[in-house]
Amino acid sequence: MTDRYSRQMLFKPIGASGQEKIRRKHALVIGAGALGSGACEILVRSGVGKVTIVDRDYVEWSNLQRQQLYTEEDARRRMPKAVAACEHLKQINAEVELIPIIADFFGIDIQNIIQDVNVIIDATDNFETRMYINDISQKFKVPWVYGGCVGSTGISYTIIPGKTPCFECLMGKVPFAGDTCDTVGVIAPIVQWVCSQQSVEALKILVEDDRSLRSTLVFTDLWDNEWSSIKVNQLKREDCPSCGSNPTYPYLNVNRNTESTVLCGRDTVQIRPGGGLDVDFVQLTSWFQQSDYQVDANNFLINVHLRDKRAVVFRDGRALIHGTKDEREAKMIYQQMILPALNSQT
Amino acid sequence: MIEILLFASLKEKTGHSKISWDEAPLTVNELKEKLKRTVPGLEEIDHLMIAVNEVYALEGQVINEGDVVALIPPVSGG
Repeated sequence: MTDRYSRQMLFKPIGASGQEKIRRKHALVIGAGALGSGACEILVRSGVGKVTIVDRDYVEWSNLQRQQLYTEEDARRRMPKAVAACEHLKQINAEVELIPIIADFFGIDIQNIIQDVNVIIDATDNFETRMYINDISQKFKVPWVYGGCVGSTGISYTIIPGKTPCFECLMGKVPFAGDTCDTVGVIAPIVQWVCSQQSVEALKILVEDDRSLRSTLVFTDLWDNEWSSIKVNQLKREDCPSCGSNPTYPYLNVNRNTESTVLCGRDTVQIRPGGGLDVDFVQLTSWFQQSDYQVDANNFLINVHLRDKRAVVFRDGRALIHGTKDEREAKMIYQQMILPALNSQT
Repeated sequence: MIEILLFASLKEKTGHSKISWDEAPLTVNELKEKLKRTVPGLEEIDHLMIAVNEVYALEGQVINEGDVVALIPPVSGG
């Protein structure tokens, strides 16, 4: 081994044996926005053997203030975050096996991917996906680390199946609300704080140092100088539908046909067709052009101006409809202007 | 007296970072109902996480004189 990891191996709780464990492990990072790009960079620099990165979005200018992996060139080229992240991470550490997946997390074949995953990092921006991650974690017995940030406040909690209360125990009665960067903004330092909380817990899991795991829920407000660490052990419930003695994993059984989702802070709605497609970009581009829509594309997405709206279509048939938060309007645009183009493909 | 600490957006919504509550003992549920009715900005208290003396509070739990209650909004952004 080169001396790339020498400082990490001098750190006693990791050492040479811990480093070898890290090298054999697989981390799954859900979301490659602010938290995801921070966590990925730490994991990849640390020498995690394999990192899978799932993200449904592409890089925009408003990301650059806090999403540390991305550059102006990524924003100009509208690079999908999963791909842009992997390109940069490869420059940082070529020893790591990097798997980019451009998709909504609900749309991927998780059974296949999860088999050798040792830890899941939550870098999503919504509670619906987190409840789904929680059920996957419980069903497949893979630990996950919750993280969230908004404004100058951050939160993190580590869920170990069979040991700690799960996210359902913690949040079961809390409706899917919560502040988002939509309304209150977010500053880069809180991103870094949450990344640190999440990635240090991930490293402890990867080196199998379970006794050092934090076990509390941590919450901070960096601007207002507040910090608290909250004990949650008493929340574990025998009758929890996700981690109790008779689990039903309610979030794995939700019927997910064509779905629309309002994206955090983006004035954008995602439309995801049920059952993944494999769109032929050449055909689709020419169809849009024949319809007199202004269109440009890269290898991963097509950007098309549909009258007063802009849409981005991915290879899996997903589309981001920009300039609206109205799911009905977005669905209508998808059905009238994008679906016919997809259906025209043979 | 109970000290109630408000975090994050709750400060803006209520205009307070701390509320002193003279009534104790009472249960977590009773406190929630009373805050919901009397403090503008806390109408959505059912959406919050509540800790008493840095321990996540169960609903029927009793809050005693001198306890510190923290109201924490769930954080969703990433």
